[in-house]
Amino acid sequence: MDRGWYLRSGLVLCLLAGSLFVVWPSVDAWLPAPAWIKDRVSSRIAPGLDIKGGLRLTYEVEVDEAIRDRRDRLVDDLLDRLGVEFGTFKQDERPTREQLDVVRARVRVEPVGDRQIRATFKSASDAKKLSLEQIRKFGDLKEESRTETVVTVAIRPDMIDDLRDTAVGQARETIADRIDKLGVRETSVTARGTDIAVEIPGADEASFTRIREIISRTARLEFKVVDDDSDYVSTLAELPAGIERQSEVASAGPENPQRVVTYLVARGEGARQKLAGYVDSLKGKVPEGRELLLGELDESEDVSAGPKPANSAKSWRTYLLHSRADVSGEDVKEAFTAFDQENNRPYVALNFNQKGADKFGQLTGRNVKRRMAIVLDDRVESAPVIQTEIGGGRCQITLGGAASSYNETLQEAKDLVVVLRAGALPAPIRPANEQLIGPSLGADAIEKSALGALLGIALVVGFMLLYYQVAGIVADVAVLLNILFLLALMALFEATLTLPGVAGIALTVGMAVDANVLINERIREELRAGKSARVAVDQGFDRAFWSIFDGQLTTFISGVVLFQYGTGPIKGFAVTLMIGIATSLFTGVFCSRVMFDWIVRGLRVKSLKVG
Amino acid sequence: MEIFKPKGTIDFMKHRGPIIGVSVLLALCGLLSVFWPGPNYGIDFKGGTEVQLRFKQPIEQGKLRQTLSTAGYDTEVVNVEGRADEYLVRVGAVSSLPAEKVASVKQALNWNISGVKIDELKVSPGGDKITFRMRDEVDPAQIEAALKAADVEVRSVNAFGSSEQHRYEAQLVGLADQMIKSLHDTLGEAAPDEPLRVEWVGPKAGRQLRDAAIKSILWTILFIMGYVAMRFDLRFAPGGIVALMHDALITVLVFVVFQREVNLSTVAALLTILGYSINDTIVIFDRIRENMTRMRDASLYELINVSTTQTLSRSILTSLVTLLSIIPFLIWGTPVIRDFALALVIGMVVGSYSTIYIAAPITEWMDKKLFSRA
Repeated sequence: MDRGWYLRSGLVLCLLAGSLFVVWPSVDAWLPAPAWIKDRVSSRIAPGLDIKGGLRLTYEVEVDEAIRDRRDRLVDDLLDRLGVEFGTFKQDERPTREQLDVVRARVRVEPVGDRQIRATFKSASDAKKLSLEQIRKFGDLKEESRTETVVTVAIRPDMIDDLRDTAVGQARETIADRIDKLGVRETSVTARGTDIAVEIPGADEASFTRIREIISRTARLEFKVVDDDSDYVSTLAELPAGIERQSEVASAGPENPQRVVTYLVARGEGARQKLAGYVDSLKGKVPEGRELLLGELDESEDVSAGPKPANSAKSWRTYLLHSRADVSGEDVKEAFTAFDQENNRPYVALNFNQKGADKFGQLTGRNVKRRMAIVLDDRVESAPVIQTEIGGGRCQITLGGAASSYNETLQEAKDLVVVLRAGALPAPIRPANEQLIGPSLGADAIEKSALGALLGIALVVGFMLLYYQVAGIVADVAVLLNILFLLALMALFEATLTLPGVAGIALTVGMAVDANVLINERIREELRAGKSARVAVDQGFDRAFWSIFDGQLTTFISGVVLFQYGTGPIKGFAVTLMIGIATSLFTGVFCSRVMFDWIVRGLRVKSLKVG
Repeated sequence: MEIFKPKGTIDFMKHRGPIIGVSVLLALCGLLSVFWPGPNYGIDFKGGTEVQLRFKQPIEQGKLRQTLSTAGYDTEVVNVEGRADEYLVRVGAVSSLPAEKVASVKQALNWNISGVKIDELKVSPGGDKITFRMRDEVDPAQIEAALKAADVEVRSVNAFGSSEQHRYEAQLVGLADQMIKSLHDTLGEAAPDEPLRVEWVGPKAGRQLRDAAIKSILWTILFIMGYVAMRFDLRFAPGGIVALMHDALITVLVFVVFQREVNLSTVAALLTILGYSINDTIVIFDRIRENMTRMRDASLYELINVSTTQTLSRSILTSLVTLLSIIPFLIWGTPVIRDFALALVIGMVVGSYSTIYIAAPITEWMDKKLFSRA
C-alpha cells in the first residue's frame, strides 16, 4: 500500500469519527449521548413542523395603513414643493419650521379620506402654481378636481396596488430578518396575499411569546422636536375624569430657557388607554403640523406624586410635538446595546448613515436648547434637551423608567436593537390566524416515514449485496457512510428534517448507489475485456467519474430551484437532496475507491468478483 | 450475479419511428390534459380548506361523507391509510362566510344597527374574521347581536384602531370548528373535539403558487439545458430536453388520468424527476462521446445502439435500485408522502425509457437534419 492510500483512508476514518460525534446528540432520543459530547456539539438536526409539531402564525398586513402613511408623506412633500414654488426656500434645501409656517399661511394642505389630499390656497394665483405638470412630477399623484382656490389630488390607483404589494413584501422581509436576528432557528416566513405566515417548529411557549412580540412591533423610530412654544394643552377645557393637567419647566430655545409648559397625566390602572382615548378624540383639533403623543411619566421628575407605592402601575403623560419627523429609523445604519458607565444601565446606541447624520446634525443644530422626542411606534421613549449640535451621526436611546430592573432594561434594549437592525415594518400587522400542529400527528407520521426510509434503505443494501457481492459490500459501506455524512452535515447546518426530507434521504440513497452501479458496471466491462483487477479498478473509476459528476449535478440543480421555490416541508426535502448529492459524490467515488484499492492492492486480489 | 447480459449489440434504433410516435402522442396528451380535463389540484393550488380529523371511534368513509353533505358541506373525504378513524376533509371554501353571504351580512348590519351605517366591510383572506368601519361608535355587543341575527356564527367582536375611526372586527367561528360542531350534533360522542390539523389557502394565493410552480419547472429545464450544452455539445442538449419534457408530461398525464391530487409535493417530485431523468441521458451521451473517438467510422445510429447496449445494464439497475428506495413510501407513507412517491416512481420509469427512445433518437435526428453537411 502506498502512502497516499493511508492518507486517504485516514481522512475517511477521521470524517467517520467526526460525523458520529456530530450526529450523536441529534439522535439522543433513541441513543442517549454522553454529556461531554452534548456539551461540545451544540448544533442538532431540527425536526420540521410536520414532524415535531409547532406554531404557525399568520399575520395580516394592514396595507391600508401603508397607503395612509404614503399619503401623509405626500402631504409633507407637497408642502415642500409649494414652498419652493412660492420662493420661500430653495429646492434641495431642508426648510426650517419658520419657513414652513410661512408656507402654511398661504396654503392649507390636508389629507382627505384614505388616498386624497386637498390643498386650499388663500389666493387663486397661488393655486395656479400647483399646476398639472407639478402634480405629475410626483409620479404617483393625479389631479382629482380643481376650483379657483382648492386643488384635490389623489394617489394613482396603480400606485396603490404597487404600495400594497411592496408593503407585504417588505413586511415579510423585515419579519424574516427580525427572527433571524433573534437567532431563532428553523423558522420560515412566507407571504400569501396580504398575509404573512411564520412557522416556528416546536419551540416552547415562552419563546413563542417573545417572537410574537418582536414580530408585531412596527418599530418605527422617529425624531421629533417638542413644541414648547404654543402650550396648546393649557387651552383644553373639560378634561375627562382621571386625566389631570400638570406643568413643567422646559427649555424652549436659547432665548427661552425656563418656559413653563403644561401636559396631561393619567395614573393607575388603564392610564394609557384612558389618555390615548382622550388624545384620539382631540384629533383634528390639535394645531396644524403638531401632534400629541404619549410617553411614560418619569416618576423621579414628578414633583406632585410624593412618595410612590412600589409596583404601582405606570403613569402616562403627553408631549406636544411637531409632527414632521426629519430623521427616522430609515436613516439608522447600525444599532447596538451599550452600557452607561455611570449608572451601569444598558442603552441603545445608534449610528446614522451619511444622509441621516447630515439630517440629524441639521435637526439638532436648528433646535439647540429645545427638547427632542425620540418616538418609537408613536410612543415617546425620552425627550432630552439638545445641548449643542450633534455631529458625527451618533445618538443614544435610554430605555425603561427608573422602575424597570437591570435585566428588564437589558432585554428591552436587546429587542430594540433587533427591530432597529431589521428595520421598521412598512405597515402595522395584526395576527390573523394561529395554528398549533399537534405533536401526536407528527409522532404517527414520523413512525411511518422512518419505517419507509429504513425499508427502502434495507432493500437497496440487500439488493446491492446480492447482485454485486464483494463490490456490493463496498457499495453498501459507501451508502451507509453517505447517510451518516448527510446527517452530520444536516446537524452542522442545523437543517430542518421534514417528512418529505425523510423520503429525500431514502431517495438520495437510491440515487447515490448509482455512482457505485456505474463504477461496478465499468469495472466489470474492463475485466471482461481481459484487464487485470488493478487496471480494471483504476480505469473503471476514471471513466465513470464524469458521468457520475454530470448526472448528480443536474439533480443538484433541481434541488437548488426547489429550495428557492418550496416552503416548509418541500424546502426540507430540497435540503436533504442537495446535501445528499454532495456527500454521495464523496462516498461513491472517494470512499469506494479507498475500499477498492485496499482490495486489489492491499489484499492483492487477482480476480476481483464484481457480481 | 448478472441479470442483463447482452449478447452483441441490440438494435434499439430499429423501431424508433413508431415508438417515438406513440411517446410524442402521449406527451401531447399530457400537455392537453393540463387544460382539459385538468389536474385535480390540491388546496395548495386551487385554494380551500383541509381539515384532518381523528374520530374517537372508527367511522365509515361513506357515512362521514353523507353526514357532512347533509350538514351542507361540499366535501371531499379521504381516508388516512391504515386508520379507520382518521380522515382528511377538503372543502373548496376558505371562509366560513361564503361570498354570497357577505352582501347580506352587510345589509343585515345596516338594518339591525339603527342609525349607524357601515362604511367598509372586509372579510379576511382566511375567512375567519370580518373587519368593518362604522360611521359612528357602536357597542360591540350590539354588533355581535346583529351578526348573530344574520345567521353568522361569531366568536367575539372587538373595536380596534383609534377610536375616531370606529373600526371593529368580528372573529368568526372557523370552518373547521363549525364542521366539528355539526359533526358533534349528528355523531355525538364519536366526533373529534378538535382537528389534528387545519390548513387553508386563499384562491389568490393558490394561483400565485401555481404560477411559481410552473416557473420553477421552466427554470429547471433551462438550467439543465444550459449545463448539458456547456458540458457536451449543443447538439446533445435538445434531445435531452425533449426527453425531460416528455417525462414531466407523462407523469402529469398519469396524475390527471387517475385524478390523483396535484399539490406542492407533486411539483417537488416533478422537479426531482427532471434532475434525475437527465442523469440517465447524460450517462448514455457520455458513452456515445467516448465511443465516437474509438469508432471513428461508425454512424451515429450505430454509436447509439452500441452505447445504449453497453450502458443498458447500468440504466436498468440504477432505476431499479432507486425505485426500491422509494417503493416503501408508496406502500406505507402518509397521504402526502404517498403522492410524492407515486410521482417519483412514474417519473423514474418513464425517465429510463425516454433516455433510450427519446433522447438518443432525437439527437440522431437533429444531427442528421442540422449537421450532416458540416
